[in-house]
Order: sequence, then structure tokens, then C-alpha cells
Amino acid sequence: MTTPTPLLSVRGLTRDFGGIRAVDSFSFDVPEGSITGIIGPNGAGKTTVFNLITGVYRPTAGDILFKGEPIGGHRPDRIVRAGIARTFQNIRLFNRRSCLENVLTPLLQREKSNFFAALAGTPSARRTERSLREKAFDLLTSLGLDAFAPLQANTLPYGLQRKLEIARALATNPSLLLLDEPAAGMNPEETRSLARLIAEVREKFNVTILLIEHHMDLVMNICSPVIVINFGALLAEGTPDEVRANPDVVAAYLGKGRKGK
Amino acid sequence: MFLQTLITGLSIGGIYALMAVGYSLVFSVLNFSNFAHGAVIMLGAYVGLALATKLSLGFGLVLAGSIAGAGIIAVLNERLAYSSLRRRKAPSLYLMISAMGCAVFLENLVYATIGSRFYAFPEFFGRQIVTLGESSVSLLDVGAFVFALAAILGLHLFISRTRTGIAIRAGVSDMTMCSLMGVDLDRLISIVFLLAGGFAGVAGVFLGIKYLVYPTMGWVTNKAYIAAVIGGLGSLPGALAGGLILGVVETFVSVYISSVMRDVFSFTLLIAFLVLRPNGLLGRDSEEKV
Repeated sequence: MTTPTPLLSVRGLTRDFGGIRAVDSFSFDVPEGSITGIIGPNGAGKTTVFNLITGVYRPTAGDILFKGEPIGGHRPDRIVRAGIARTFQNIRLFNRRSCLENVLTPLLQREKSNFFAALAGTPSARRTERSLREKAFDLLTSLGLDAFAPLQANTLPYGLQRKLEIARALATNPSLLLLDEPAAGMNPEETRSLARLIAEVREKFNVTILLIEHHMDLVMNICSPVIVINFGALLAEGTPDEVRANPDVVAAYLGKGRKGK
Repeated sequence: MFLQTLITGLSIGGIYALMAVGYSLVFSVLNFSNFAHGAVIMLGAYVGLALATKLSLGFGLVLAGSIAGAGIIAVLNERLAYSSLRRRKAPSLYLMISAMGCAVFLENLVYATIGSRFYAFPEFFGRQIVTLGESSVSLLDVGAFVFALAAILGLHLFISRTRTGIAIRAGVSDMTMCSLMGVDLDRLISIVFLLAGGFAGVAGVFLGIKYLVYPTMGWVTNKAYIAAVIGGLGSLPGALAGGLILGVVETFVSVYISSVMRDVFSFTLLIAFLVLRPNGLLGRDSEEKV
């Protein structure tokens, strides 16, 4: 049996901040088409890993291979164009812009446009803009946000802002989508509907998903494999059941029992 | 007399607006006060002067050359003095100190190489006069005002319609997010400085023609800071409105009260705005820029 090359492969990833080693020779794979989950206690280095993959930070050491190509230390815009998009734990939308414009921004950056035609507002430039607006609207529709298209992004309720961030990330046409705590601040009902949405997005947009999450039920229901990180290093990886049964994981989350076995 | 004062005021205001637009553009994207902007204006004026006196070019070519020259100088300024600070995500105070250093350096470089002499542009517009009803105003004043308006309108179209313009607006709101939308930040920031420098070049030529060219002429940019604050820091329509208002008010103060009072009045206005209306006339809430 041959295992296909993973979509994303992280090897020995390390990042220091001053004297603090936030990520410590961390290695893991994201299989193509999977919903891979990263879990770990607060401060374990999960978001730093996302920042390293998306080029917001440069790795101190280690390799990041995307579709077999090294991308570690590349500029964020190159990595986006290679096909990795992300959302943020603390939502970062273009607050003063409408929902539609938020999704339109990355669409416009992908388009080759004629500078002078755009400046003069020629019919062909307007046609291009109209078709991009339609595309943006379709993306909003597929996430159930079409009714909010003209509203200013920061007026949306929290849960919908998260969805809008996902829509904007999808507008960069990614093959790998990184979601940083997509269910943060959601109640159990909202979390369940988010789980359905994530599965739908994977099917519909044909993306592989890597997500960080604290809601264990979400991770255990939709993610496989699950990767556990603690103190910046890999603690365990495997199917949800394997991870749940791993004594190291239990210890990291709940502390070691007094009885000791 | 009133109309004449108004037009003179608008003409000076137009030049203030040109300076304020470039300054405001850099401020809104990088969130620091680029004190080297005045030095770029001064160098733009010297480029224009060289083209006009050494090569005896006409006004249009002088203006174009000065736009290109000042634009390139501004980009080099960013590449050499700011970009490494920016990439290391240094606090904006460091950028501001670096900008002050650049201003002093460039000024002294001009002192050391060209000298402290005051130069005058050749008389492009002669003493041509435009007659409007009872009053007559100089063609230069009308031209400066019209050209400033046209340039700022062009910039507005660029920012609101083109792909790069929209990327600039995204960068104003969140730089990291902007790069995650697929925008090359280094290129974007170079374009911002090229634009700011281009506007500085226009301002430099008009200032040079109206007054004189000398190493410390860039300090008139203080007025651009006032204009930007009146209009609202980071707002382009604000920079235009602020520049025009400041120019007109200043001219009326010098004509009807006393020219000695002019700058006292301008800086009082600056402090009054900062105390009473820190976001200016058209500025965004300061909490949005964190």
C-alpha cells in the first residue's frame, strides 16, 4: 500500500520568540481531503503554527511543504496564492466595509485588471466588476449570508462574522483552509451547525481543512486525524479514539491523577 | 479684493492639500508621521529647478520630471530607512524617529552639496493675469488650484476603482489581513510612497515657483500636518478640505488682520482641533486605528 503525499507536511518546525521556544521541532501531516484537527492546552503554540504556515511569522528552523513544495518563510501573499487561506481566532474582518466588499477584496486581487480601464470606469471594467460582485454574492449565498450582503461587517452577530471570515478566506480559492477556533464563543447548537457547515464547505469547495479548536465534541466528531500539541511539541496524533485513549493527552488536559497506576 | 484674497487662499490651500494628501496617505497605511515628507518636497523642487534651468525644459516637462524624481526619492527613502523597521514590526515611534533623521540628513546633504543659496524658477507664467469680474488674479494661482484639484480627484479614482487602490484601502484597515488576501505588501507600500512622492513633487514645483527654492523650504510641510489634522488624519477628502480651509483662512488673516499673525493663527487652529475635535472634520474614529 502506498500512502499518497500529504497536502501539507510540517517537519521539525521551530520558532523562538526571544528566549521562549513557542514551537519546538513540531512535525505533522495534513492528508489531502481531510479535516485535520489541532488541539492542545492554551498557550501550547497552536496559533503560532498557523502564523508560521501562512507566512505571518518566519520559522526559526524546520520545513513546511505544501503540495511537495517548500513554503516556509515565504511572504504571506505568495502562500495565499499557492492556495492556503485562513481565518483568525479574534475575527479580523474589514470592519467598515460591507459583507460583500469583504469577500470582493480577495477576488479583485486575483483578477488581472486593466489599470486604465478601471480608472476610467469603462464598460468592460464595469462588466468585470459586476461578474466579480456576482461571484462574491454566490460565495455569501453558499454560507447563508446573502441576506447580509450590503450590511457593514462589524454590525453582524458574532457567529455570522465567523462565517463571513470563512467566505472571505474561500474567495482566495484555497486548496487548504486553516480555521483558528471557528467555534469560539458559540453555544452547543451553533457549534453543531458549524460542524455541518465545515463538512459542507469541504465537499462544495473541494478544500482540505486544518482547524484549531477547543470544543472537543466538534473535534471528535468531524476531525481525523487529530494532532495534539503541548509546549510547542507534538504530544500525540491519530484518530479521535486513539487520541482520546492516549494517557499523555489525558494528563496534559486534566493533570496526572494522584492515584497513579 | 475679497475674490482675489479667496483665490490666492485657494491656491495656497491647493498646495497644502497636495502636501497633506501625500502625508496622509503614508500615515493611513503605515500609521506613522512621515516627517521626511517635507524633505522629499524640497528635493522635488530642486529636481524641477534643475530641469528648468539646466535643461531649459517647459513647465509640463518640469512638472513631470519633478513628479518622477520625488516619487523615486520617496520610494528609496522607504526602502532604505523604513522597510527593515517595518518588516521587524517595530513600534511606529521608531519609524517616526527614522523619518526625522531622514529629514535632517537630506536637508544637510543639500546644504553640503548644492549650498544654502536661494534659487528662483524661471518665470513660466510671466506675470499673466486672469480677470474675474472686478478683480484680477495671477494665472499661477488659478493653475495651482485647478491642478491640485485634478490631481486629488485622480488619486481618489485610483483608490476607489483600481485593484491596487482597493488593496491600499484594505491595507489601511489591516496590513496583515491585506497580505493574506494575496497582496504583496512591499510592492504596495512602494506604490504608496511613489504616489506620496509624486504629490510632493507637484507641491515642490508650485512652492518653488510661487516662492523660492532653498534647503529648508520643506518645513512648510508643517502646514500640511495642520491641514491633515483639520481634515482628519488619514482621510483623503479630509486632507483636501483641510488644505483648502487652512489656505483660505491664512490668507484672509494676513490680508485683513496682519501677516505676522498668520502662523500664530494656524498653529492655534491646530491645537484647537486636537483639543476639541481630534478626529478632524472627516476623520474616522481614532479607536479604529489601534
